[in-house]
Amino acid sequence: MEKYLYIALFAPFVSSLFSALFTATPKKLFTGIIASLLIFTSLVSSTILLIYLFKGGEPIHVEMMTWMATGDLYIPFGFLVDQVSVTMMMVVTLVSTVVHVYAIGYMDHDKGFNRFFSWLSAFVFSMMILVMSDNYAGLFIGWEGVGLCSWGLIGFWFHKESASWAANEAFIMNRIADLGMLIGIFLIYWNTGTLQYDGAFAAFHTLDPTTLTWIGIFLFIGAMGKSAQFPLHTWLADAMEGPTPVSALIHAATMVTAGVYLVIRSNELYSLIPDVGLFIASLGTFVALFAASMALVNRDMKRIIAYSTLSQLGYMFAAAGLGAYWVALFHLMAHAFFKALLFLGAGNVMHAMHDELDPFKMGGLKKVMKWTWIMMTIASLALAGIFPFAGFFSKDTILEAAFADHHYVIYGVLLFTAGLTAFYSFRLVALIFHGEERYKLFGIHPHEAYRFMLVAMSPLLLFAIIAGVFQEPFFHMVEELLRAHEYHIHSHTTLWIMLLGTQIFVGLAILYAYKKYARSGIKVPDGTSATENSFIYKLLINQYYIPYFYEEYIIRPYRELSAVFWQKIDIKIVDATVDGIAGIIYSTGEKTRTMQSGNLSTMLKWMVVGLVVLLSLAVIFGVTVRYSDGAASALSGLGVM
Amino acid sequence: MEIGLNHYLVLSTILFAIGLVGVMKRKNLLLLFFATEILLNAVNIAFAAISHYYGDLTGQMFAFFVIAIAASEVAVGLGLLIVWFKRHGTIDLDLMTSMKG
Amino acid sequence: MLDHILSILIFFPAIAAVFGFAVQKDSMRAYGVAVSAIEFALALFLWYAFDNSVSGMQFMEHLPLVPAFGINYTLGVDGISVFIIILAAFFTLLGIGSLTDTPNVKYMIITLLFLQMTMAGVFAALDAIVFYVFWELSLVPMLYIIGAWGGPLRIYASIKFFLYTFAGSLVMLVGMLFMAYFYYQATGYWSFALLDWYRLVLPETFQLWLFVAFFFGFAIKVPMFPFHTWLPYAHGQAPTIGSVILAAILLKMGTYAFVRFSLPLFPDAAAYFMMPIAILAIIMVIYTAMVAYAQKDIKQVVAYSSISHMGIIILGTFALNVEGISGSIFLMLGHGVVAGALFLLVGVIYDRRHTKLMSEFGGLAHVMPRYATIFGIMMMASVGLPLTINFVGEFLSLLGFYQQSHILTLLAGTGIIVGAIYMLAAYKKAFFGDVTNEKNKNLPDINKRELFGLIPLVIVAIWLGVYPKPVLGPINKSVESIVQLMHNKSQTELAKSRIPDLTKEKVVVIKKTVIEEEVH
Repeated sequence: MEKYLYIALFAPFVSSLFSALFTATPKKLFTGIIASLLIFTSLVSSTILLIYLFKGGEPIHVEMMTWMATGDLYIPFGFLVDQVSVTMMMVVTLVSTVVHVYAIGYMDHDKGFNRFFSWLSAFVFSMMILVMSDNYAGLFIGWEGVGLCSWGLIGFWFHKESASWAANEAFIMNRIADLGMLIGIFLIYWNTGTLQYDGAFAAFHTLDPTTLTWIGIFLFIGAMGKSAQFPLHTWLADAMEGPTPVSALIHAATMVTAGVYLVIRSNELYSLIPDVGLFIASLGTFVALFAASMALVNRDMKRIIAYSTLSQLGYMFAAAGLGAYWVALFHLMAHAFFKALLFLGAGNVMHAMHDELDPFKMGGLKKVMKWTWIMMTIASLALAGIFPFAGFFSKDTILEAAFADHHYVIYGVLLFTAGLTAFYSFRLVALIFHGEERYKLFGIHPHEAYRFMLVAMSPLLLFAIIAGVFQEPFFHMVEELLRAHEYHIHSHTTLWIMLLGTQIFVGLAILYAYKKYARSGIKVPDGTSATENSFIYKLLINQYYIPYFYEEYIIRPYRELSAVFWQKIDIKIVDATVDGIAGIIYSTGEKTRTMQSGNLSTMLKWMVVGLVVLLSLAVIFGVTVRYSDGAASALSGLGVM
Repeated sequence: MEIGLNHYLVLSTILFAIGLVGVMKRKNLLLLFFATEILLNAVNIAFAAISHYYGDLTGQMFAFFVIAIAASEVAVGLGLLIVWFKRHGTIDLDLMTSMKG
Repeated sequence: MLDHILSILIFFPAIAAVFGFAVQKDSMRAYGVAVSAIEFALALFLWYAFDNSVSGMQFMEHLPLVPAFGINYTLGVDGISVFIIILAAFFTLLGIGSLTDTPNVKYMIITLLFLQMTMAGVFAALDAIVFYVFWELSLVPMLYIIGAWGGPLRIYASIKFFLYTFAGSLVMLVGMLFMAYFYYQATGYWSFALLDWYRLVLPETFQLWLFVAFFFGFAIKVPMFPFHTWLPYAHGQAPTIGSVILAAILLKMGTYAFVRFSLPLFPDAAAYFMMPIAILAIIMVIYTAMVAYAQKDIKQVVAYSSISHMGIIILGTFALNVEGISGSIFLMLGHGVVAGALFLLVGVIYDRRHTKLMSEFGGLAHVMPRYATIFGIMMMASVGLPLTINFVGEFLSLLGFYQQSHILTLLAGTGIIVGAIYMLAAYKKAFFGDVTNEKNKNLPDINKRELFGLIPLVIVAIWLGVYPKPVLGPINKSVESIVQLMHNKSQTELAKSRIPDLTKEKVVVIKKTVIEEEVH
C-alpha cells in the first residue's frame, strides 16, 4: 500500500516538474494531457487507498526521510494515510483531475498554457503534502506551498495590475495567519516535545487547559487565514482575479478548506477545549451570515460564488467548532463537488461572454448553453440544500447538530443563512440563464463550451447529485478516528418539522429569487434606483467598507510609516548620529590644528599648559590613591598598579 | 636667620618662573635663548642646593652636565640663529612658521 | 596534507594572488577561476575529511609566534565554522566565475583572492590575535573593492565602512587584551588561545564589561541596529561582486564571532544581556523590513533585507539553546546563499540597464522569463518558504527563542509577514505589469556566465531546504558541546535557568492513557 501512497503523493510533483520544463516554450497540448494523466494516476492511487481503508485496513504510516533534527527536535518527512486524510486526498485528486482536464479547454488560447499546468500541479502536490503529513511541520510545508501556488495562480495574468495586487494580498494575509500557526507549532513543541500528531495528541491530555487553549487559539488563527475567516477574509474575493479553474480548485474546493482540515485533524486538541470550539463555531456562524449578506447584492459572478464559498466555510467551522468533526468533513467533501461544479460552470459562462462578469449583462443564456445551465442549476440546488442533492445531507446535519447541542442561536442564524444562500444562488442562475437576452445589447455571441470540458465536469455533477448516499458509509469509516456520533433529535415530530420547515423556507427563497430576477424587464443597474441608494445596499456592495478600512487604516499608514522610518529615522537620526560623531571628531581636529601654527612661541605656551595639566593630574592621582583604599583596589584589579 | 634649603628652592622656583614667562612671552629668538639659560640655571641652583643638603655629589655632577649641555646648545643654537638671520634678515619668532600644520 | 589543510586553504589563494600579478591580463579570468576552483575543491575535501561524529575542533594546527605572550598560530574547525569556510570558497568561485566585465579585472581578481584568504583565516583561527589580524585584514580588500570599483559615492561609503567597523574592532581588541590578562592572572602565564579561554570562569561583573567590549566589535560587523547605517552605503556603492561577498560571508563574521566568543566565554553575561539584545534584534527585524519596503532602489531593498535577516540570526544565537543556535548557524549559511544570489541577480539587471531604480522597470517577467523565475525562487527563499534553505534556519531560530520568551518571538515572527511585504512589493514593481519603459523592451535574458553563478545557488538553496541533515548534523553536534560548556560554566541563577543542561535526563512525559490501561 505504501507504493500507492507514494504514487498519489508524487505523481502531481512529477507533473509539475514536467510542465515546468516547457514554461518558456509556446503552448504544447501534450503538457496539459500528461499533467492530467498524472493527476488522474494520483486519483486512482487515492481511490485504491480509500477502498483499502474503507474495508477496514489499518492506517498507513510511512517515514520517508529525516527533514530537520537538532537538539531534541526531530521532524521527518512522514506521511499518514488514515480515514480523514484519505477523504481529503479523494476530494483533492478528484477535483483537480476534473479541473486539469477542464483547463486544457479553458486555457486553450493562453500564452502561459504550460506554465499554468506547472503551477496547478504544484498546487496539487502541496495540497497532498498538507493532508498527508503526519506532523505539524509537514503540514506547514504544504500550508505554505499552497500559499505559494495560490500566489502564482492568482497572479497568473501578471500583466494585470489587479491580479498581481490580489496575489500579493492573498500571500501576505495568509502570512499573517501563518505566524499564528507557527506560534502554535512552537507551543506544541515546547510543551509536548514533538510535532508528530500521535505523540502530540497523546501529550495533550497531560497539559493544563490554559496552554491547550493558547495552542488551540494560535492554530486556529492559522486556519482563519487559509480559510479566509473574518477578519482575514478580504483576500478570497480578490483572489477571483485568477483564472476560473484556479478559483474552482483552490479557492472553492481545496485550499480554503485546509483550515477546516486543520481543526478536524486536531480534533483531539479541540475536544479538550470546548470554549475555543464554541468560539470557532460562533465565528463560523457569523462568517456564514456575513458572507451571505455580501453575496446578496454583488454584481460580479465569481465574487458571488466566492462569498458563497466563504459562507459555506463558515458552516464547516460551525460544525467543527461544535465537535461535529465528521459532519464538517462531510460538508467539506460535498461542498467541494458542487462548488467546483458551480465555478467551472461560471467559467463556461465567462468564456461564452468574453470574460464579462456582471450577471445583469447576461440573461437568457439557457438557450445557447443548455448543459451549463443544467449543471449550474443542479449545483445551486445542492448548494441551497434541496433534497436529494448533496448539500441537503451535509448542511442539514450541521443544522441538526447545532439544534441537538442546544445552540439555538447558532441554529437560527445558520437556518436563516440557508435561506439567503438559496436566494443569492438562484438570483445568479436566474440572471444568467433566464429572462431577456440582455447580452445582445453588448454585441456578444455566446457559445457552449467544448464538449470535453462538459464531460470533464460530469463527475462533479454526479457527485453533487448523489453524494448524500455516502453519508452513512462515510460516517462509519471515520467514526472511530473522529469520535463521531450521530445527532438524534428525540422527538420525531420536531425532526420532521425541522426538515420540512427548512425545505419549505429554502424553497420559498428560491422561488422569490426566480420571481424577482427571472422576469423580463430587468435593467442593468446604473446607480439610480432607490435600492441602490439605500444604506444597506451601499454597505453590502462595499463589503461593509472593510477593504476600504484596511486600505485606509492599515496599508496606507504602513506605507507612510515605512517612509518615515527610512527618511526621518534611519537617515536623519541613526545615520546622522553616526555621521555626527565622525563630524565632531573631524571638526575637533580641524579646530585644534590651529595649535600647530608653527609659531614657536604659541607652541611653547601649549607645552607649558600640557606640563601644568600633567603635573596636576599626577598630584591628584597620587593623593587619591594615598587616601582612598577603594581606588587603589580598583586600579590594582585593572592591572594598573 | 640662617639660609636653608628652602630659600634656595624658593629662589630656584622664582628663577624658573621668570624663565618660563620669558620662554612664553619673548618674540626674539636671541632673548628666548636667554630665557632658556635662566631656566637651566634655576634647575642648577636646585641641584646644587639639594646635593649639599643630602651630602650627595650626584646633584652637583648633574649641574655640571647641565652647564656643559647648555653651552653646547647655545653654540649650536647661535650658529643656526646666524644662518637664519642671514637668510631671512630677521629673528622674530612670529615669522618662523614654516612648520605650520 | 590533512595536517595542514587549513593553512593551505588560507594561504593558497594569497600566494596565488601574488603570482597573479605576473599573469597576462587576458588570461587572468581563467587563472582566477582555476585558483578559486582549486580552493573550492580543497574546501570540499575538507568537508569530506571532516569527521561528523566529533563535536570538538578538528585539523588543529599549532605554531608558536610570540610564546612569551602566548600568541600562537592556532587553527582548527568544528561543525560551526567548517561550512562557513566552504561557503566562502564557494562564493569566491562563483563570484570570480560570474564576474562581469569590469575595468582592471586583473586587480579585482587578485583582491578577491586576498579576500578569500582573510575569510578562511577568520573562520579557522582559534587564537584571538590571529583571529583579530584576519578580521582586520578582511577590511582592506573590501575597502579596495568598494573604493576602486564602486559607484559615485564610493569614497564616502568605503571610508565609512572601514572606519566604522574598525572602531568597533578596536574596542574588541581591548577586550581581548583584558581577557588574556585575566587568563594570566588566573594561571600565571599568558594565552590568547580560544580553547584556553573557554576553560576560564570569570566573575559576573568582569563578564559584563568584556561582553560589552566584544559586543561593539561584533555588533557593528553584523550590523545590528543602531550600528547598521554603514551597510546600505556599502551595498549601494559596492560593485555586484563586492555586495555578494559582503552579504554572503563578511557579515557572517559578526554572528559567527558571537557564537565563538561571546557565548562560551561569557555565559552569564550572555544570559544577562539576552533580553536587551533580543529587543534590538526585533527592532532590526521589523524596523529594517519597513525601511526596506520604503526603498526605491532594488539593491537597497536587498541590503535592508539582509539586516532584517541578520536580526533573526542574532535572535537564534541568543536563544542560548541547541535549537536556536543551530538554527542561527544554519541561517547564516542560508542567508549567505540567498542574499548572495539576490545581489547577483540585482547585478544582472544593473549590467543591462545601469540603474537599480524599480520605477525604471516593470513587466520584466515578459522579457526575461528565466531571470524572473530565478529571482522568484530566490525571493521565496528569502521570504522563508518551507523547503528552501532559509526556512530551516528561521524556523529553528524562532523555535529556539520561543523557549525564552513567547511575546518576543511573536514580535520577531512578524518578520515573516513584513519580509513578505517588501519582497513581494519589490518583485511586483520590477517584474509584473506590462513593459512600460521602452528601454526594457529588448533586454536579453540571463546569459551563461550569469547562470554559472546562479544555478548552483538555486540548487543549494533547495537542496539544503529539503535535506539539511548533512549540514545540520555536524552543526548540531558542535552546538551541543558549546551549550553544555556554557551551562557548566554559568554561575548565576539566571544563566542556569536560561541555558539548558543537556546531560540532565529528559523528563519523560507519561502518557495518561498508558497508565489507565495498566490500571484496568
